[in-house]
Amino acid sequence: MTPTATKTKAAPRKLEPHQTPILARDLLTPEDHRELLNQLYLARYFDVRLIKEKKRGRLRGTLYSSHNQEAVLVGSLYGLEPTDWISPIHRDMPAFFLKDAKNGWRNPERIGMSIEEVCSQVWCKVTSPGRARDNWSHIGSKAKRIIHSTSMLAGTIPVAAGVAYANRLDGGNDVVLTYNGEGSTAQGIFHEAINFAAVHKLPVVTIVENNQWAYGTPLELSSPNKDVADRAKGYSIPGLVADGQDVLDVYDKVMQAVEHARAGNGPSIVECKTFRAYGHGDHDDDRAARYRTKEDVESGRSRDPIAICKIHLVNKGYLTKAEAKKYMAENKHATQTSDEDFPPDVVSYMSKGIEFALASPPPPAEEGAMWVFREEN
Amino acid sequence: MAATLDPVTTKTNYLNALKSAIDEEMGRNPDMICLGEDIGILGGAFGVTEGLQAKYGTHRVMDMPISEAAIVGVSCGAALGGKTVMAEMQFIDFISCGFDQIVNMTATYHYRTAGEVNIPMVIRGPAGGYGGGALYHSQMNEAWFANSPGLKIVCPSTPSDAKGLMISALRDPNPVLFYEIKELYRKREIEEELNAGDDAIVPLGKARIAREGADVTLVTYGQNVWHCLEAADNLAKEGYSAEVIDIRTLVPLDEETIIASLQKTNRLVVVNEAPMTCGFAGEILARMTTKAFRYLDAPPARVTRLDTPVPWVKPLELHVLPSVEKITETALQTIRF
Ligand SMILES: Cc1ncc(C[n+]2csc(CCOP(=O)(O)OP(=O)(O)O)c2C)c(N)n1
Ligand SMILES: [Mg+2]
Repeated sequence: MTPTATKTKAAPRKLEPHQTPILARDLLTPEDHRELLNQLYLARYFDVRLIKEKKRGRLRGTLYSSHNQEAVLVGSLYGLEPTDWISPIHRDMPAFFLKDAKNGWRNPERIGMSIEEVCSQVWCKVTSPGRARDNWSHIGSKAKRIIHSTSMLAGTIPVAAGVAYANRLDGGNDVVLTYNGEGSTAQGIFHEAINFAAVHKLPVVTIVENNQWAYGTPLELSSPNKDVADRAKGYSIPGLVADGQDVLDVYDKVMQAVEHARAGNGPSIVECKTFRAYGHGDHDDDRAARYRTKEDVESGRSRDPIAICKIHLVNKGYLTKAEAKKYMAENKHATQTSDEDFPPDVVSYMSKGIEFALASPPPPAEEGAMWVFREEN
Repeated sequence: MAATLDPVTTKTNYLNALKSAIDEEMGRNPDMICLGEDIGILGGAFGVTEGLQAKYGTHRVMDMPISEAAIVGVSCGAALGGKTVMAEMQFIDFISCGFDQIVNMTATYHYRTAGEVNIPMVIRGPAGGYGGGALYHSQMNEAWFANSPGLKIVCPSTPSDAKGLMISALRDPNPVLFYEIKELYRKREIEEELNAGDDAIVPLGKARIAREGADVTLVTYGQNVWHCLEAADNLAKEGYSAEVIDIRTLVPLDEETIIASLQKTNRLVVVNEAPMTCGFAGEILARMTTKAFRYLDAPPARVTRLDTPVPWVKPLELHVLPSVEKITETALQTIRF
């Protein structure tokens, strides 16, 4: 590191070409930092709102809450190029609208889903990107570069590798980010796919959201590795561990993996350590209270990603203490929060999505028999 | 690599017919790639892809790790990314290791995306018994996939169908499972002259009348086509003429050709070397008893493998699989009902 680079620490804007950033975050602007916080609010509000809607019995299917895990999504998605691909799974619903969100939440040109599309999916409406044919997180879009997952855990990793391979044949170097729980790393396909991606140095970054639990099974019964990222050693690829509660740490580690991938050096595993706030799904909340002690849950979720992000912003002077206290969504159970705990643009963004979904029709019944085969080329 | 031609005649065997179809499609479609175990450097366990890597490069003909699920999943992803993919299973028996990626990921892609995405992909591999391959190198497991909506299923019995159906499969916008009969790969007796260019194309979903007849209809596919033709010879000696229908494509099934035949013969025997219970023979019987009941003068019958795995040693293997004798006998019972 050059002395000049040290000097830039106080005012991290764009580095000169001869300067080496210590961390990816050093290239983020104050606006970027504030946007990260806003996206955390957005992800939290989406979840909180759906938890409440679900309790009112207005939603079909299962809600796999991403509460307390938002920094993993926000931090991993923020540095991607719009044309990069992602493959979110059940606990990653906010990823669909967070993708490329920094180019304007409501920007119709951005390469991510609109909140209207995502809410349409949740409310089973024809305006869902998949016309509500499969549930919840099983949506995607070739145009928006989101791989459509099935229920079969870890099943999208080989597809991600295939997408990356096709892209390489076409001369591209788009990165594909796949998401998995720590429990899903025990799937055979997890091994097959990462092994293949490593052999061919494909730009596939596998995020492991280690929330310590796979449904009712704790980490130590899923994996012999204390750090799931250690599995990377078996493929001679980087295995990074990030503090999943700290959006900037996630951002740094994922960007390290993304740059490594984009430069042609192959895949990485980035384990983000976090903690599942509620039951596995909303159906499991009561039973989860039995297999996890209250104390463990309290301590597990004591480091709220919104609070940690605020500390960074205040320390850097990007947010005043008063501003930091204006909206207090952190450290609250979903049902204890109110709309006043969130910035108004966050609330209105989601509310518009819900309004749109409620006003949309369900798909016509006869669509159930359609699209088994593509008829023509 | 062009098909190896017999120096005296211009006849081609089943294996080279497949190879020429894949080769021609690779030449025609720059977006096509091939994935499989040992298909590049070695040229495939049976040699179906011999010479293709030298011709099209390692990036288009890729040796895969022994990971059937990844072969299918990566192929699916490459297809999502705009490629047409030929994925080889070294033996069709091993397809079970890639089952989830086939039936849940690939087969449903078009459906669950409401038509946004289609997966042009052919999964092909050597299949079938009668060769002493034992339990895990003899299977006909097509019924697993016939029961999974979204997959087309093809099984040719002649070199010209092998070539023509392979071209169609590789041009189809949907995932196609292609069952190659390994006992026919190099069988000299069935070699034939092949058409060139588009004249070689055989459409999916069209049955072939392998032999015309008036007294009984034998419906079959794959290696059993040849058994049925032999049985038809036996029946002729008894004074009966059997019509042999090679369905060639299981999904979609050409029901019209079978029904038209039943209108003429009024008798149906379905022959299939897969196990009986929930096998595809049962499906054909069910459809014909519901759709062509009024043409039938005798209960329709089937000759299938017993509900057993395929054992290794010859007497055991032949005991459980359909034979010319069993087909002849069943046909006679049906005719004389
Ligand atoms: C192949 C497969 N087996 C089982 C399940 C049922 N299932 C859904 S989520 C889940 C737990 C997943 O745990 P983890 O991977 O840690 O992700 P998390 O839910 O904690 O985010 C299980 C067992 C499934 N969806 N797919
Ligand atoms: Mg987990």
